[in-house]
Amino acid sequence: MSASQSKTINVRLRVWRQESREAQGFFEEHELKNVLTDMSFLEMLDVLNEQIIKSGKRPLEFESDCREGICGTCSLMVQGQAHGPVRGATTCQLYMRAFTDGETITIEPWRAKAFPVIRDLVTDRRAFDRIQMAGGYTGAKTGPHADANAILIPKDLADRAMDAAACIGCGACVAACPNASASLFTSAKITQLALLPQGQADRKRRVIRMVDQMDKEGFGSCSNLQECEAACPKKISIQNIAIMKQEYLKAALAADFRAGMGSADGGA
Amino acid sequence: MVPLSRLFSSTLGRKYLMGASGLALVLFLVVHLLGNLTLYAGSGDPMNTYAARLHALGPALIALEVGLALTILLHIVTAFQVTYSAKAARPVDYENAKTKGGPSKNSVSSRNMIWTGVVLGVFLIVHVAQFRFGPSMEDGYTASVDGVMVHDIYRVVVEAFAQLKWVAFYVGSMLFLGFHLRHGYWSAFQSLGIINPRWSKPIHALGLVIALLLAFGFLFIPIYIYATQSGGGNS
Amino acid sequence: MSIELNPGIPEGPLSQKWDTYKANMKLVNPANKRKYSVIVVGTGLAGASAAASLAELGYQVKSFCTHDSARRAHSIAAQGGINAAKSYPNDGDSVWRLFYDTIKGGDYRAREANVYRLAQNSTSIIDQCVSQGVPFAREYSGELANRSFGGAQVSRTFYARGQTGQQLLLGAYSQLMKEVDKGKVTLFPYREMLDVVMVDGKARGIITRNVTNGEIERHAADAVVLATGGYGRVYFLSTNAMNSNVTAIWRAHRRGALFGNPCYVQIHPTCIPVSGSYQAKLTLMSESLRNDGRVWVPKKKEDCKKDPSTIADEDRDYYLERKYPSFGNLAPRDIASRAAKEVCDEGRGVGESGLAVYLDFRDAIKRDGEAAIRERYGNLFDMYHEITNENPYQAPMRIYPAVHYTMGGLWVDYSLQTTLPGLFAAGEANFSDHGANRLGASALMQGLSDGYFILPYTVTNYLGTHAQDLLKKVDVSHAAFDSAEKEVRSEIDRMLENGKKGKRTVTEIYRDLGKVVWDKIGMARSEQGLKEALAEIEKLQKDFDTDLLLTGDSKLNKNLEMAGRLRDLLELAALMARDALERKESCGGHFRVESQTPDGEAQRDDENYAHVAAWEYKGKGQVPVRHQEKLVYENVKLSVRSYK
Repeated sequence: MSASQSKTINVRLRVWRQESREAQGFFEEHELKNVLTDMSFLEMLDVLNEQIIKSGKRPLEFESDCREGICGTCSLMVQGQAHGPVRGATTCQLYMRAFTDGETITIEPWRAKAFPVIRDLVTDRRAFDRIQMAGGYTGAKTGPHADANAILIPKDLADRAMDAAACIGCGACVAACPNASASLFTSAKITQLALLPQGQADRKRRVIRMVDQMDKEGFGSCSNLQECEAACPKKISIQNIAIMKQEYLKAALAADFRAGMGSADGGA
Repeated sequence: MVPLSRLFSSTLGRKYLMGASGLALVLFLVVHLLGNLTLYAGSGDPMNTYAARLHALGPALIALEVGLALTILLHIVTAFQVTYSAKAARPVDYENAKTKGGPSKNSVSSRNMIWTGVVLGVFLIVHVAQFRFGPSMEDGYTASVDGVMVHDIYRVVVEAFAQLKWVAFYVGSMLFLGFHLRHGYWSAFQSLGIINPRWSKPIHALGLVIALLLAFGFLFIPIYIYATQSGGGNS
Repeated sequence: MSIELNPGIPEGPLSQKWDTYKANMKLVNPANKRKYSVIVVGTGLAGASAAASLAELGYQVKSFCTHDSARRAHSIAAQGGINAAKSYPNDGDSVWRLFYDTIKGGDYRAREANVYRLAQNSTSIIDQCVSQGVPFAREYSGELANRSFGGAQVSRTFYARGQTGQQLLLGAYSQLMKEVDKGKVTLFPYREMLDVVMVDGKARGIITRNVTNGEIERHAADAVVLATGGYGRVYFLSTNAMNSNVTAIWRAHRRGALFGNPCYVQIHPTCIPVSGSYQAKLTLMSESLRNDGRVWVPKKKEDCKKDPSTIADEDRDYYLERKYPSFGNLAPRDIASRAAKEVCDEGRGVGESGLAVYLDFRDAIKRDGEAAIRERYGNLFDMYHEITNENPYQAPMRIYPAVHYTMGGLWVDYSLQTTLPGLFAAGEANFSDHGANRLGASALMQGLSDGYFILPYTVTNYLGTHAQDLLKKVDVSHAAFDSAEKEVRSEIDRMLENGKKGKRTVTEIYRDLGKVVWDKIGMARSEQGLKEALAEIEKLQKDFDTDLLLTGDSKLNKNLEMAGRLRDLLELAALMARDALERKESCGGHFRVESQTPDGEAQRDDENYAHVAAWEYKGKGQVPVRHQEKLVYENVKLSVRSYK
C-alpha cells in the first residue's frame, strides 16, 4: 500500500533470563529473521516465544495487557531506556521501525530493590499498591454525596489534576531514575488530590503516610535529574515532585497535624 | 507535628537539608568571591584590610565559621546518605542505561554530583589548611594597614599562586565547582519544592550563569596572580 | 428439559421497583456483618467498586485479580465516557430517556426493570466519582462538561479526556485500597480463578492459581461475586486486553450457572485493520472520528489498490451516506460495521488485505483547516500514525470493524445473582442490561452501577436471607474443596503432560479458533456457516486435546495460563455457535443473513425471540440445554430501529 513501507529486518536479541527471584540471571541471545518493521515490539517478542516454544524450551516471560499504552502492565528496559527509545510511549506502543537491520537489542527487566524480579522480565511492582494504600484516596465512601456540580472546580485546576492523574503506574519512573526513586509516581497521586477540593480533608495525613511508605519500600531519593519525566509514557512533570515536597514539609511542620503517625507502617 | 528527627531522616527531609545547605553555601561562595575580588587590586592592602575587618568580628566570626563548617558537614552527610540510598535502591545495575533526552537533566554534571562533591571536599581541606590555618602572623606574615599590624594574608596567597602546581590545583578544583553548581543550584530549588513551571527554566538557566560566574570568578584569581605577581612574588 | 427462568423482578410500577426491592430486602446487623466474608473476583469497575462498597458495609472482603495490581483491569482502556441522566445541559434528558435509549439501542432484548434501575443509578455514579477526586472534564464555569455520543439526542456523556475508563477505575481502585489499608479487604493479586466451590447448593468459595508460583489455593467465603469481564478474546483479535478471558465465568457455567445470550457480541466499526499474521491485539479509534471523517471505498474493484488521492469523487462510494442519508457516517455501531463488511465482501475493500475502508478527513481539513482537525483529534491521529506509520492528515485512515464488547454473559436475576445461589455476576461478566447491542458510554455506567449501588444491597439481602445456613462456616478442608482442587490440578497436569508430545502451539490453535469465530460467528451469521463453525471448533478442540505443544513449568508461565483459557474459549465458541444458530432472527449485534428486510437491514422476530436464551452446561462434548426468560415489555412499545 501507498505510504506504508513495511520492510523486514534481522535483529539479534539479548534478553534477560532469570529463573526466579533468588536465581542468578543472565543474557540469552536469539536471532530473529525477517521481522516486519510494522510489527510492535511485543509482537516481535510473541514471535520469539513461538520460536522458543517450538524448540522445546521455556518461553520468555514478559508482561503486557491492553497493548495500547494505558494499563501500565508492560515494562522492559530496551537498549538501556525504559519503554525503549521513543518518548511518550509504552513498550507496547514501540514498533520495530525504531530499529535498524542487524541491530543487537538488549532487553532487561525494570531494576530496583523494590521491584524484585519474579521471572525473566517480569517484576513485582506491588510496592506501588502499598504506597497507594497509604493514602492515595479521598476517603469518600459509597453512598449519597453532594451533587457533582455542588462544588465548582476551575477548569485549569481540573486540567492540572488530570495531568497528574494520567499516571498509569507502570514504574518507568523508577526504572529510569539513576536512584530508583518512586518520587514521580507518589507525587502524581499526592498532587492530584492536593489540587482538588475533594482531597483537602485528608491532605496532610496522605502526604506523610505515602512518603513514609515510599521510603519504607526501599526506593532511592530524588536527585532531580528529571529522567523520570523523560521516560514517563504519559510525560508527567516533575513539578508534581516539587509540589509533593511542599506538601510534605507543610504537613510535617503543621502544628495541628497529629493523625496518621501511629499507622505510618502502611496499615494492615 | 512530625518529629524533626523523623522529618529529616525521610528521603524528602534529607533533600530539604541538602538543598538548603547547598543554597547557603552558594550564598557563602558569592560573599567569598566578592571578598576575593580585592585580590585583583594588585597590592596587598585591600585584601588584608578586608581580612582584618573580618577578624575584628571576633566571636561572631567564629560563630559564622562554625556555622559554615556545620552547613558543609550537613551537605556532605546528606550527600552520602542520598548516594547510599540510591545504590541500595538498585542493587543490580543495568548493563548500559541511557538517558531518554527530552526534559531530562541527566548530564555529566547531574550524574556526578557525588564525585564533584568529593573533589570539592578534598579541595576544601587543602584550601582551609593552606589559608585559614596557613602561615600566620607568628610566622612573620604581617603587614601594616593604616598603621596597624595585621596578618599579611595577601602574601600567603601570592606565595601559593606563584607556584604553577597550586594554580593548576585551584583552577582544576574550580572547574569541578562549576559542574557541581550547574546542577546543584537548580536542584536545590526543586528539592525544597520552591519552584513552579514558570520559574523552573529561568532558575535552571540562572544555575548556569551562577556556575560560570563563581567557577570562573574564583579560577581567574590564581591565574591573575600567577601572571601578574609571580615575577615579584618570590622572596 | 427447558425451564422458564424467573428474574425475580419486584412488583409495582417501573420507577418504584428498585425502591420496593430495597424496602423489602433483608438486612444484616452491623455486628453480624463482620462475621460474613465475600469473595470478589476481578478488580475492574464492577469488581473494585463492589469490593470497596461491601467492605465499607463491614463485610470481610477478599479481592482477586490476575494482574499485579487491581488498577490494571481492562476497564482502564475505555476511552469515550460514561452516561448519566444528570441533564446538566438542560436538553431534555431524564432517567426515562436514558432508559428508553438503552432499551431501544439494545434492540428490545434487555430487561426493562434492570435498565430502568441502571438509568436511576447513573446520576449517583457521577456524584460518587466526583467525591473520589475523579478529574472529569470541566467548563470554564467550573461545572462538569458533557458531550454527546452515538444513539442519543442529548449530551449526557461525562468524560475525562480520552481516558474516562482509566480515571473511573483509578477512583474505584483508590477506594478499594482505602479498605485494604483498613484491613477490611484482603488483596489476592496474581490469582486466576479456576473453579467455584459449591457446598450444600450454595457458592462457598473458589479455587485459584497463583500465577507467579503455580500454587493452587482454596478460599472460602459466604458469597462469591464474579466481575471478570467479557469474552471478546474468543475472537483472538479484538480490542480486549491480552489477559481478558472467559475462564472465571466459564468455570462457574460448568458448575451449573446458566450462560445468557452468548451470541450477542458488539463489533466496533472503527478500529485499525489487521496488518499481519503476527498481530495479537487490535486498537480502537474513537467513534467520535465519524463526526468529521467520511467513510468510503472505491466504486470499482480495480481502483482498490490505487493511491486513494488519485481516485476522483465520482469513483468513490460514500456508502454510509448513500444507504443511511439521515444518519450518514454516524450510523450506529452495528449498522456501520455490517456495511463495512458488505463492501469488503463485494471485493471493494482497500489496503493490502482488502479488509479495510477509508475514513477520510480530506473534506473536513479543506473545510475547517488542519489546525482545527488537529485540535479535535490530534491524539487519535498521532496514535494512528504511530501504529500504521501513515500520516492521516495526508492520506485517509484505513479502518475496519473489530470485536470489543460482549453483551452475553452469566445469566443473572434482578439481584444480579446467577442460577447458583450465592454466586453473583457483575459488569460485562453478566448477560447485562444492554440487550443485543450496547450504546457507547454505557459499559462504564453499568459496571459502576452494579458494583457501587446494586450488589451492596443484593448481597446483603442474600446473606440476611440465608443467615442460618451461612453462619455455619465452611472450612477449606471441606470435601467440596478437595474435589474441586483435584479437578483443577489434574487439568493443569494433563495440559502440561500432553503438551510435551504435541506440535501445535497455544497461539496457533487460538489464532485458528479466532478466525473461525470471526468468519462465522462475527458480523453476519448463517445457518450453514454456524454449522460449519461447530464442526471446525470441534476439530480445533481435538487439536487442543491431542496435539498441543506446551513448554515450561507450572510456575510463572503465561503460555500455560493461555492454554487454560483457550480450553474454555473453545467450549464457549461452540456455545456461541449454538446460540446464534437457535436465534433465528437478527437483532442488534446478532445478524442472521436469513433474517433481513429486503434492503438488507436486521429483521427482528419479536413473536418468537423476545426472550433471553440461557444455556445450561451438560458436560464436555455434550449438547447444552437452552432455557428461556421471557422479556416482558410493559412500558415501551417494541418498534423497528431505522436509521435511514
